[in-house]
Amino acid sequence: MAPENSSLDRRNFLRAAGTLAVGIPLGVTLASCASGGTGGGATGTKTKNNPFGVADSTTVDAVIFNGGYGVDYVSFAGSIFAKQHSGSKVKVSPSTQIASELQPRFVGGNPPDLIDNSGAQAIGFNSIRKQLEDLTEVINADNLEGTKIADTLYAGVTEPGTYDGKFVALNYVLTVYGVWYSASLFEKNGWTPPTTWDEALELGAQAKSAGKYLFVWGKEAATYYQTLAVDSAIKEGGQELRLALDNLKSGCWSQEPLQKVFTAMKKAIDSGYVKPGGAGTQFTAAQAQWSLDQQALLYPSGSWIENEMKKQTADGFQMTGIPELSLSDNGKYPKTAIRSAAGEPFCVPSSAKSSAGGKELLRIMLSKEAATNFAKTKLAPTIVKDTVPADGFGSTALVSQAKMLSDAGKDTFTFNFVDTYGMNQDQLVLWNTFLSGGSSVAQLTDGLQQITDKIANDDSIKKVTYK
Amino acid sequence: MSVAGPVGSAPAALGRAGAPSRGRGRGVRRWTVDRISLFVVFLGLPLALFLVFVIWPFLQAAFYSLTDWTGLEANYNLIGVGNFVKEFQDQNFTIALRNNLIFALVIPIVTIVIALAFASLITIGGPSRGPMRGIAGSSFYRVVSFFPYVIPAIVIGLIWAQIFDPSSGLLNQALIGLGLPYQAFAWLGEPAVTRWCLMFVVVWGFVGFYMVLFIAGIKGVPAETYEAARIDGCGRFRMATRVTLPLIVENVQTAYIYLGITALDLFVYTQALTPNGGPENTTLVIPQLILRYAFLQGQAGYASAMGVTMAVVTLGYAGLVFLLFRLIRRALGSER
Repeated sequence: MAPENSSLDRRNFLRAAGTLAVGIPLGVTLASCASGGTGGGATGTKTKNNPFGVADSTTVDAVIFNGGYGVDYVSFAGSIFAKQHSGSKVKVSPSTQIASELQPRFVGGNPPDLIDNSGAQAIGFNSIRKQLEDLTEVINADNLEGTKIADTLYAGVTEPGTYDGKFVALNYVLTVYGVWYSASLFEKNGWTPPTTWDEALELGAQAKSAGKYLFVWGKEAATYYQTLAVDSAIKEGGQELRLALDNLKSGCWSQEPLQKVFTAMKKAIDSGYVKPGGAGTQFTAAQAQWSLDQQALLYPSGSWIENEMKKQTADGFQMTGIPELSLSDNGKYPKTAIRSAAGEPFCVPSSAKSSAGGKELLRIMLSKEAATNFAKTKLAPTIVKDTVPADGFGSTALVSQAKMLSDAGKDTFTFNFVDTYGMNQDQLVLWNTFLSGGSSVAQLTDGLQQITDKIANDDSIKKVTYK
Repeated sequence: MSVAGPVGSAPAALGRAGAPSRGRGRGVRRWTVDRISLFVVFLGLPLALFLVFVIWPFLQAAFYSLTDWTGLEANYNLIGVGNFVKEFQDQNFTIALRNNLIFALVIPIVTIVIALAFASLITIGGPSRGPMRGIAGSSFYRVVSFFPYVIPAIVIGLIWAQIFDPSSGLLNQALIGLGLPYQAFAWLGEPAVTRWCLMFVVVWGFVGFYMVLFIAGIKGVPAETYEAARIDGCGRFRMATRVTLPLIVENVQTAYIYLGITALDLFVYTQALTPNGGPENTTLVIPQLILRYAFLQGQAGYASAMGVTMAVVTLGYAGLVFLLFRLIRRALGSER
């Protein structure tokens, strides 16, 4: 720029730019006012084969979490969808960053028709539940084989997706929580899988004398032990204990069964039954110390563990699950009771272009053909009953899951507060310290209670009442 | 600068196209197609991009920090400074702010001291006879120490996370090899050491780059200055502190500010090494909290407030460093 005239011109430009700077934001504000949805989109005629009235030539936009289960099972249902509705197709977009990818679409009023809101970057349901369709309509519809879908599902699977009576998230995959071990290793050493904490501590002593540990943990998954503790306590104290935690009651962490479980865990830690160093170990590396190196006997986890460690499991490991440990013989729930919760929450935004298409795709996924395909290719059961044959497609873990589910019968439960309010990150800190032996039961209890109280006392966070 | 060419030559072109009354001094200039297109391309466009993609988001964040926006709905309420009050009642935030400030205090000074020492060795640390030169093999060291800077930060983080692994990490294996009891020492899991491990990794990654920066600075100092100092009987350490430092103090100041801004962020390193904030939150940093609140807990307004606070802290930090260096320069007598 020639120096002699630069100042004048620069000023002119700043002036012009200033006008622009005022203009653009106004334009954007107006645009955002104009958006914000009417939604629903074009609908066709509702018939028995088309219960939600999907219009012909609809393109269903599905954003699916691309995690342990991949996205091909949705594409599979999508191809059935295309056959059912002439000229229609399903566009499946895989994503691992659900929250940051979909945030602008929610604000702009053009969210996709179906979302699998899962993974570490999932959107907290508490923040979007008002913008989602009630999916009761879907499970009241008939599946492709002509049976009412609700009758084909396991008990209680709608519970985790129900917020204040509105069923907004259909959790598709059935997750069974348990304690996992190698049946072959136990057989070789003559060990019996424990059913109570006392038995577990005895087994810990045997493991120690064999130069192994009872438990192992990794830094990102320290709260798996919180899940184990809460589930054990619920088996002892029943629904009353669970509701106190879910409804953020003051003093809920001091309930007696929880304290007893914490004390048993503390004993295991102090006796050296827990492999030290977990607070600095990446969690899959820690899990490989159990499944590949076999340095630890037991690992508490959900049934995704088999898929997750597929490539890092010792040959002939025979991964098997047992119900989470009980405290005594006379708990409110029998020893066979399990926490089974449906995972992979699918939801349909109300302002989507074709929310009917989203629901229809879900209906197809819940039909026998698609559900069986899932169980077979992912070695995990869906919420649809009777899709796993007796041989579990050759997986010992899948067979043990089916056994745990049938042994438990109606004695299944789950809890919600951790996911509903996104507490995991804060709790991880406490659990890493506790499992390292760095805090007492009282300190752990205090810390957990503070996290609960902080949310209970924050008026800006909408609360869910659990019953 | 390369862009100076076409811009500089523009007035000549304008002269040819323009009216004969083309200004002596500051006369009114005519808007020709040439001039307009020049301004649009070289000023208007970059400025517009800057305004839309930098300034406007800043203003938006500042506005959202005054709202209870969840980040997922189009509606929000203005709640004044509520978010800022909440910040300082939020233990996570105060811990993260404290951590960021510790990093901003330690990382720049350690990095700069090491980088300066290396730079001195490589340029003036050599034999005290003959021309000024570095220690033997200095060009080799210069290249090698630059290597870490070539690796992306996230990769550095992931590599070191493996090295620090308690059971199979290189570090513990080496220590066990020396006969030390480090079978399960969790370098990234012990509250007392994790913060230092993280800082070590950051310093390791940056020393090479700043060393090269300082070498360039030292090479810009006339060799006569060093020779004169040497004739006066100045040793190598004194040469570094009394001759080099005052002469490249401006480079040091720039380095200090850059490193400070990096240390007030550190998102990439912490996500790779201690994604949950480290043991007892000793390495939790504010960008991690912003991610957590904005996207996972639906409190985008609150997260914006944290971003605004960080911007203020960063500006304050830069201002402090400027002030500090002005005082240092005055003390060194190199105030110009």
